Amino acid sequence: MLEIRFHGRGGQGAVVASELLAQAAFLDGKRPQSFPFFGVERRGAPVTAYCRIDDREVRLRTSITRPDIVVVLEPGLLRAGSAMEGLKPDGILLVNSREEPAALPAPAGVRRASVDATTIALTHGLGTPMMPIVNTAILGALAAASGAVSLGALEQAIDRFVPAHPAENRAAARDGAAAVRVAPPLTAGHSRGASSAVARAPPLELPDAPMAVASSATIATAAWRTLRPEIDQRRCTRCNFCWKFCPDVAIELNAEGFPVVHLEHCKGCGICAAECPPGAIAMVAEG
Amino acid sequence: MVKLTIPATELVRPGHAACPGCGPALAMRLLLKGLGPRTVLSMPACCWTVIATPYPTTALGVALLDNPIESTGASISGIRAAVDALAIPDVTVVGFAGDGGTADIGLQALSGMLERRTNAIYVMYDNEAYMNTGIQRSGATPEGAWTTTTPVGGAGRGKPERKKDIMGIVLAHRPVYAATLNPSFPEDFVRKAAKAREIAGPRFLHVFAPCPPGWRYSSEETIEIGRLATDTGVFPLYEVADGHLRLTRRLSSLKPIGEYLGRQGRYAHLTPEERARLQAEVRSGWERILREDASGSPGGPFSSRSSHAATKGDTVEAA
Repeated sequence: MLEIRFHGRGGQGAVVASELLAQAAFLDGKRPQSFPFFGVERRGAPVTAYCRIDDREVRLRTSITRPDIVVVLEPGLLRAGSAMEGLKPDGILLVNSREEPAALPAPAGVRRASVDATTIALTHGLGTPMMPIVNTAILGALAAASGAVSLGALEQAIDRFVPAHPAENRAAARDGAAAVRVAPPLTAGHSRGASSAVARAPPLELPDAPMAVASSATIATAAWRTLRPEIDQRRCTRCNFCWKFCPDVAIELNAEGFPVVHLEHCKGCGICAAECPPGAIAMVAEG
Repeated sequence: MVKLTIPATELVRPGHAACPGCGPALAMRLLLKGLGPRTVLSMPACCWTVIATPYPTTALGVALLDNPIESTGASISGIRAAVDALAIPDVTVVGFAGDGGTADIGLQALSGMLERRTNAIYVMYDNEAYMNTGIQRSGATPEGAWTTTTPVGGAGRGKPERKKDIMGIVLAHRPVYAATLNPSFPEDFVRKAAKAREIAGPRFLHVFAPCPPGWRYSSEETIEIGRLATDTGVFPLYEVADGHLRLTRRLSSLKPIGEYLGRQGRYAHLTPEERARLQAEVRSGWERILREDASGSPGGPFSSRSSHAATKGDTVEAA
């Protein structure tokens, strides 16, 4: 049995990617299964979906904790640290990234693959620059890099189950298959963990009664973001419109009245930049 | 320190689970700035229950009770009775529900609370559909708007029915105070919330709450879309105290409705004829409110001081 876990953001199509993969596997004559992690689905929030592929009916109904393949639809999600959790030592990590696969962090033994699915998606008019819909491009890359499904079956599945722009999505899958790059596994001693960039928050103690007692400020929502506000203080007039209109309480005014963005909580909505009268705030792409 | 036009104290905490650019998230932040820390909220199933409490955390610096979706009105009547029985001083009891949980599922409980003259504030934040469950139409969804249950294509032209007039329904119950609020006008928003807090009796606030994923627009446009809603006459800002209606944002002329509709994917399918029909509807609604606007009459219920403050706030926003 092959176990594949998808990590994406709400709106990118991770859940649909997992379903399409299952449909393609079925067309290949396999007995697949697909379901998303049941949680809050919010545009931009990290989303997880699971796909199992076997020759026999899959009776297992649990989430995937020891995946053979991890597919990451946006490289920023690697910073959050949990994407690679449990990935088998001889598994495959496929990331939507402009970077060469050899630059990807991974434990020893893992085959690393990368594909610039964002550029492929935008070339075919799928999604917007803030939220490109990269699922079909990365599925093409997955088919080529892992052989989990055939490219033909994937194209057939797209044709049958993708309601909007099936031709563009098929083309994106073909481009993804052609463009995927694979790096040899790192040997022991050279492995690199993914969690060094962002320290994992300590697990919260659950209270005895069903009451919410801790502050949500302990939750970082930075991983939701693809764009980050940068304030040019020389042009800031201290009008505090950015502070006034921030839905995420992520902007604070310092003692001089200048805005300070708390990046751990900013979701990158762009309201502050859009509402800034002197245009002192620019939204810049994350890493 | 630069002078602020709304209170600095934050009673909404960061780290909540709202979508980027969420109108309801900003609305709650402004609402609690006006209501202050001695507020008890009761909330049914809606976007905000999910936003507020990624268990075991809470994004609210005030007490919150989760209630069943149809019962917000009954729930705040009960909380008010308990607070009074225990003689806890200076508590503002607030029901906070979405448009579906108010204008559809919670309507009888709201009506009961208003009719019993419960001393509480009922807030309906209106994102104009059941957004938390995936954009299904509600009674408050406007005519012509696309939702997942009022599709576009074939015979489908978005929602065929008109938006339910919740303010009309509420005003028929003669509340002591009712107002429309829009987070794109923060000073007016906070002033109305603070004013509602100071009045005893049943009060109702209708809050405009733009939703980027549900209305199909890019997250940074939330404030501009809210501004256009008011300045096209789609969502006029006014308050009604003791039966007297007063506009709190006066407009010499309405912007064409196309400026508002054109910013949102949920209206992208509308033909010029359909837009013209919506324009006529908005214009007649606006004219009705102008006729009812009593602020010019001497001896009206509002002091010149409060209307001066509102004008000043509006000017700041219009700049």
